[in-house]
Amino acid sequence: MHNIVIEIQDISLSRNDNNILEDISFKIERSKALNLYGLNGSGKTSLLNIIAGITEPTSGYINNISGDENIFHKIVYIGHKYGIKGNLTVKENLSYSLHDNNQNNDALISNALDIYKMTDLKNRLTKNLSHGQQKKVSLMKTLILDSLLWIIDEPYSALDNKSIEIFNTTVKKFLDNGGSLLMTSHSEMKNSLFALDNYRIKQ
Amino acid sequence: MTRVFNIISKEFLLASRSGYEVFLPIVYLLIIMMFFNISISYVEKDIMLELLPLMTWISCLLICILNLENIFKEDYDDGTLEMFLMKKEGIELDIMIKILSHWLLSNLPIVIAAPLVAIALGLDFGTTSTLFITLLIGTPTMSLIGSIAAALTISLKKNKILVSVIVLPLYVPILIFGTSAVNNSFFKINYDTEITLMIFLFFIFLLLTPLACSKALKISLD
Repeated sequence: MHNIVIEIQDISLSRNDNNILEDISFKIERSKALNLYGLNGSGKTSLLNIIAGITEPTSGYINNISGDENIFHKIVYIGHKYGIKGNLTVKENLSYSLHDNNQNNDALISNALDIYKMTDLKNRLTKNLSHGQQKKVSLMKTLILDSLLWIIDEPYSALDNKSIEIFNTTVKKFLDNGGSLLMTSHSEMKNSLFALDNYRIKQ
Repeated sequence: MTRVFNIISKEFLLASRSGYEVFLPIVYLLIIMMFFNISISYVEKDIMLELLPLMTWISCLLICILNLENIFKEDYDDGTLEMFLMKKEGIELDIMIKILSHWLLSNLPIVIAAPLVAIALGLDFGTTSTLFITLLIGTPTMSLIGSIAAALTISLKKNKILVSVIVLPLYVPILIFGTSAVNNSFFKINYDTEITLMIFLFFIFLLLTPLACSKALKISLD
């Protein structure tokens, strides 16, 4: 099994003659967490979208060198928008996420609800939850979906300290099991619970 | 098959919780037909009956345009569209299932209700049957065409007018064949050619839409 999961090679992105990203290259490794940091508008989210396959880069390549042909099917992406339906309950949202990936396992959902202390809210419509609780519902997807790489845009935003702790614990466990994390933040992060490589995105 | 069922059941569940919105197409149809009936009440009944299926067709077309933006808008707003587009394979199938769900929820009720309204207003059974058949073939084609326009304009805040401008020229052939078929049926003239052409258009857009829509969504999200 290759230690490098995905290689990002000379990625550039421009829109309307503005260069958003220029020759970005780095590697995402197994059992490693990588934090992309930079100022607002530096292109962090654009880069995540490219790696997740949502946006096409102007030039450059995303190479799968993991040895696993299905790596791009095993990415869990959580962007600025949480990707949950307001008119579905917490449990229904998680359940349909599993169905979308041809999985079905109520035990996984119960476990995720338990970890994020949301079991009592499982039958509540997500539109009636707070911003932070909605974020937790989206983060729970990382726990229920079969994945090798989590791509999360600003995972700590809207979360309280207790929830950040829970998230960090789940990340540590995921990394210990050979998973990889790619996340963004506005600044370099230190003293993280898990080993975190910081990569600065320059405008 | 499970995948098709899952997406459709999710769309139906969401529609059932969206309140009165699910009934809006039928309400619009009833309002338009009621006003139409009032506005031509001074015209001779034969002329009114001649115009009735044509007016019903135009009403259905306008209602189809009104609800086009809903196909992908909610998914775009809540971020589920991004997850949907992340998949490397099967996006086209998922898009087709979404369009099917949209047609079942927004257009099928009109396809069923419009002939009933026409019968209530005195249209004969033969023409009503043709009206039903032409709407049954025409409205899915309109959903297919409309989904491309909706996908192209999804990132715009107020896309309703632009969607209408894009789809109207493409709806004209469907409207011509549909109204021509019901008109021929009213006068007991053969309308097989119109039906064949409508089926032909349906299959053309059935082939084109998945690819065009997935490309349009990707461009819009860029």
